[in-house]
Amino acid sequence: MPIITVDGVEYEVAAGRTLLQALDDLGVLMNGVDIPHYCWHPKLSVDGSCRLCQVEVEGIPKLQIACDTPVKDGMVIHTKNDRVKRAREGVMELLLVNHPLDCPICDQAGECKLQDYAYAYGVPHSRTKEPRRAAKKRVDLGPTIVLDQERCILCRRCVRFCREVPGTGELGTFGRGDRTVLDTFPGIALDNDYSMNVADICPVGALTTKDFRFKIRTWFLDEIPGVCTGCANGCNIFIGVANNKVYRYVPRRNDAVNQTWMCDAGRMSYKEIETADRLTGVSVRGPSGALEPAPLSTGIRVAAERLRRVADAKGASVIVGFGSAHATNEDLFTLRRLLSGLGTEAAAVPVVTGKADALLVKAEKAANGSGARALGFAEPGRVIERIRGGGADAAIVLGHDLLDASFLGDTADLARLDTVILLDSRRSDLERVAHVVFPTRHAAEKSGTLTNHAGRVQRILQAVEPRFESYADGEVLHRLGIALGLAGFEGDYDVRAVSREMARSVPAFAGIDLGSLGGEGAVLAGSKGEGER
Amino acid sequence: MVSRQSDHSQGSERSGEERPGRISRETRAKIEAEMVKFPVKRGALLNALHLVQSETGYISQETIEELAELFEIHPADLRGVVSFYNMFHEHPQGRHHAHVCTNLSCSLRGARALLRELEGHLGVRSGETTADQRITLAHEECLGACAYAPVMRVDETYHEDLDLERAKKLLDELE
Amino acid sequence: MLKVPYVTNYLTEHFADDSFATVAGYVARGGYAAARKAITQMSPDEIIGTLKGSGLQGRGGAGFNAGLKWSFMPKQTDLPKFLVCNADESEPGSFKDRILIERGPHQLIEGLLIGAWATGSEKTFIYIRGEYAYPAECMQAAIDEAYQKGYLGKDVMGTGFSHDVVVQRGAGAYICGEETGLLESLEGKRGQPRKKPPFPAQYGAFGMPSTVNNVETFSHVPHIIGKGADWFRQFGTEKSPGTTIFGVSGHVVRPGLFELPLGTKLEEIIFEHARGVPGGRKVKGVIPGGVSMPILPAGMLDVPMANEFLRERKTMLGTGGIVVMDETTCMVRVACVISYFFRDESCGQCTQCREGTGWMNKIVERIERGAGSEEDIEVLGDIAGKVEGATICAFADAASWPIQGLLRHFRSDFEQHVKLGKCPFPESFEL
Repeated sequence: MPIITVDGVEYEVAAGRTLLQALDDLGVLMNGVDIPHYCWHPKLSVDGSCRLCQVEVEGIPKLQIACDTPVKDGMVIHTKNDRVKRAREGVMELLLVNHPLDCPICDQAGECKLQDYAYAYGVPHSRTKEPRRAAKKRVDLGPTIVLDQERCILCRRCVRFCREVPGTGELGTFGRGDRTVLDTFPGIALDNDYSMNVADICPVGALTTKDFRFKIRTWFLDEIPGVCTGCANGCNIFIGVANNKVYRYVPRRNDAVNQTWMCDAGRMSYKEIETADRLTGVSVRGPSGALEPAPLSTGIRVAAERLRRVADAKGASVIVGFGSAHATNEDLFTLRRLLSGLGTEAAAVPVVTGKADALLVKAEKAANGSGARALGFAEPGRVIERIRGGGADAAIVLGHDLLDASFLGDTADLARLDTVILLDSRRSDLERVAHVVFPTRHAAEKSGTLTNHAGRVQRILQAVEPRFESYADGEVLHRLGIALGLAGFEGDYDVRAVSREMARSVPAFAGIDLGSLGGEGAVLAGSKGEGER
Repeated sequence: MVSRQSDHSQGSERSGEERPGRISRETRAKIEAEMVKFPVKRGALLNALHLVQSETGYISQETIEELAELFEIHPADLRGVVSFYNMFHEHPQGRHHAHVCTNLSCSLRGARALLRELEGHLGVRSGETTADQRITLAHEECLGACAYAPVMRVDETYHEDLDLERAKKLLDELE
Repeated sequence: MLKVPYVTNYLTEHFADDSFATVAGYVARGGYAAARKAITQMSPDEIIGTLKGSGLQGRGGAGFNAGLKWSFMPKQTDLPKFLVCNADESEPGSFKDRILIERGPHQLIEGLLIGAWATGSEKTFIYIRGEYAYPAECMQAAIDEAYQKGYLGKDVMGTGFSHDVVVQRGAGAYICGEETGLLESLEGKRGQPRKKPPFPAQYGAFGMPSTVNNVETFSHVPHIIGKGADWFRQFGTEKSPGTTIFGVSGHVVRPGLFELPLGTKLEEIIFEHARGVPGGRKVKGVIPGGVSMPILPAGMLDVPMANEFLRERKTMLGTGGIVVMDETTCMVRVACVISYFFRDESCGQCTQCREGTGWMNKIVERIERGAGSEEDIEVLGDIAGKVEGATICAFADAASWPIQGLLRHFRSDFEQHVKLGKCPFPESFEL
């Protein structure tokens, strides 16, 4: 493998890579080796026009752009000398000549590469006395994106993105020279399933999302690493939180799972956290037949009593459990242990499916179908048959996907059961047939692990605390286990301890638990992972 | 307040029959004849745009959509090409183009003064079209006739060694 | 229609004869014999060797050895290969390719045939600027006749060799005269130059191996192959052999075209052939090779017109477009014209070029209006330096050099504008 020297430090790199690619492969680009750049992006074709990534390559008289310089064994690169400094200053000064002084009203401020690089590599003051170019501001490009043409530095990342990733090509540059502008074709809006990624890759505030517009200054946000739960792809994200409120999801790079992208639907799924129909308290069906609010301890006691009664009367095999593909591995592991402890193996998981695409979107519209299956939750068919055939009399149900037309369709079958214990984050018709209802947390409100379509287990860390009563499913089930006097259930619910136990006792999860996982996840034993990307 | 783009349908679906388009059948045939000369049909695009513009006077949005379908490229891509070149116009033009070169050799020999006089004579500013739609007057970069400056291109013809009187007469004779 | 050159040589000596633009007229003067000899008696390597040895420099402005460029084409490949004839001639001050196309189209076709045989190219694309409607007609008429009479198409002149020629019209963009900007435009895209490497011989027209040369370059080829490299070297200088067609314009008595050997002194061209400056005025400055090339002051007119000498004076031959400016000329106004041109024609990709050409133009115009300061002159020079040498193509260099040249030799014009707050040359051409 070729060895290159950058600022006196040797690096072993892969042949056939450009300098920026090689440094990016090693994880040192802008993280030890600073080569600022605009138009280059690790997942898009090379453009080479911003000229900011110029470096000195010994033996070549002119400075070379690192994005288009193939590595060669023995290459010696300088990125910190005066020549490179002056070249960067030149580019930065020229970029700022026509750039509008919009920082005070621009959403990009705080995460703007023009600000960052002007500060780090630019000149301290502007020499221009000329009026700046005027172009269109606040252009509605489509359902999700707003364009400010004046701010655009014409790196054309967005144009390449639309052509190369979703393949829709809505964006283009028009005109010539310093009158060139970015725009769409009149009447053909920027409207594809991945449109909001252009706001991420835009180094400046030319392309911003309507959803985030003017909501909050980026420097108030904590960006907490997380995983999108919109489908089984498990795109890695950062959850932008301020004052215990989630303001946005943005993609987090994971070359195996989602590269640097996420779909618009997943990106907007943060809105599920604060919907009006969240379940906000425990309730128990009273003698009048209506569900009445109750403290957690009462809910647990009533649920345990009912389950005991049914088991004693008809045997444990009449108890069935439906996991949720939205729950974490730890939640589901706890449910499985609970059901086994009670003496029943009837565990199923209904997973709602929809359209998939060739990029990131998967058919399973929940994050943890694979995890549920790996933990022993089967297709719901058999268990539903048992319920319909009269072979079941009590059910513990997580979530309400069970009501989807592809499974039960309605509550009629469940209405005949003696006991239905429901754990859910949102309201649904299932409440009508439940005897005890526990409010549960959204993925962003708890810690745990999720297993994506390719068997990759990824961790989520709690980002926000619900403002109402809400519990991780695992916690409710743990308390239920204690109330039922089952072995292995004692003390407080500790998700990390549960995760370790899961790794210890489930062969597929060997060595994979919340505490040991890194930001990139790990693939279950026996799964093939996502493959080359 | 976010400005809205013009509301315009995305173009009708392909149907079996020929749609009445802005590009005539004749021109379409010429375009198709050009396409076979190039290894990739897109190579014929500039020639096609010239053919279309000589017929319709300018390249309209509808024309761009039609050509985009013919060449199988996105309209944004095609419009990007049209907007790059000085000779393609996206708005209606006068029946005739009168372009005075204002680059160095011509300016040295009075081209800019000539252009100003012609502006006065026609009653328009450079870049504008006369009210009767007869002439669009504009400046142009070097036409490649530097020894015979000042030079004016009227449609496809060069007029060289111009003086003001001759230039005015030329323009007056245009219908 | 262009007047024929006032001084002719082997390229243009028959241009006064209308029939030279027809097959019969061309053949009667010995035309197509060199191509026949090349295809039937010489190997591609021999031809390329002859061309290299002749020292023919590309006549499109860059001056790169043509034979060497042809040698870059891959010999063993399954890919189709193309020649591209750059007829985009848009360099201000330049109008020589036009006459070669209008009056010598078969000479050009013959050069293409020899080039095609030498490089194994199956087709030539002639990219001709959109404004050259009449020359394009002339070219197409000659091509049509050549096909009819068997000089193009299948089995050229019965040799078994086949070659096609297609004319593609440009549409008004100077940057499409840049080799890779041309290729992009040829492919029906925005004419935005490509990064090099890869060079056109590896990745050219439509991604296929291609050689791009100027009209005049191809036009010399039949003469070199027909009469030999040694014959060619009798003209011009050792490093810059051959003739070129100089175009003289601006403040001269007899502006026009002059085919002269390279190395002819600039003062000879201006005062003898172009008959000097009208009204007996003095020369103030001369641009030697089209507006991209830095200006020379009156004291440097004894320079021989060849790159090796011009480079010592910090300028270049370019396209041999000589623009003469007399003592009435305000060089700041000249800077306005030139900087406006480069600002308009920048493709807009590279930061330095897009923003730099715009900024330089704005500063120059402000100085011309009398609203400039001494600091502005400093900044102008500094920006010109920053724009140069750092972009995808040489356009930025071409935009920066004229400004640097004007500041180098005529800084006082700028300083006077600043001091007086207006143009100090009342008789200068109007802006």
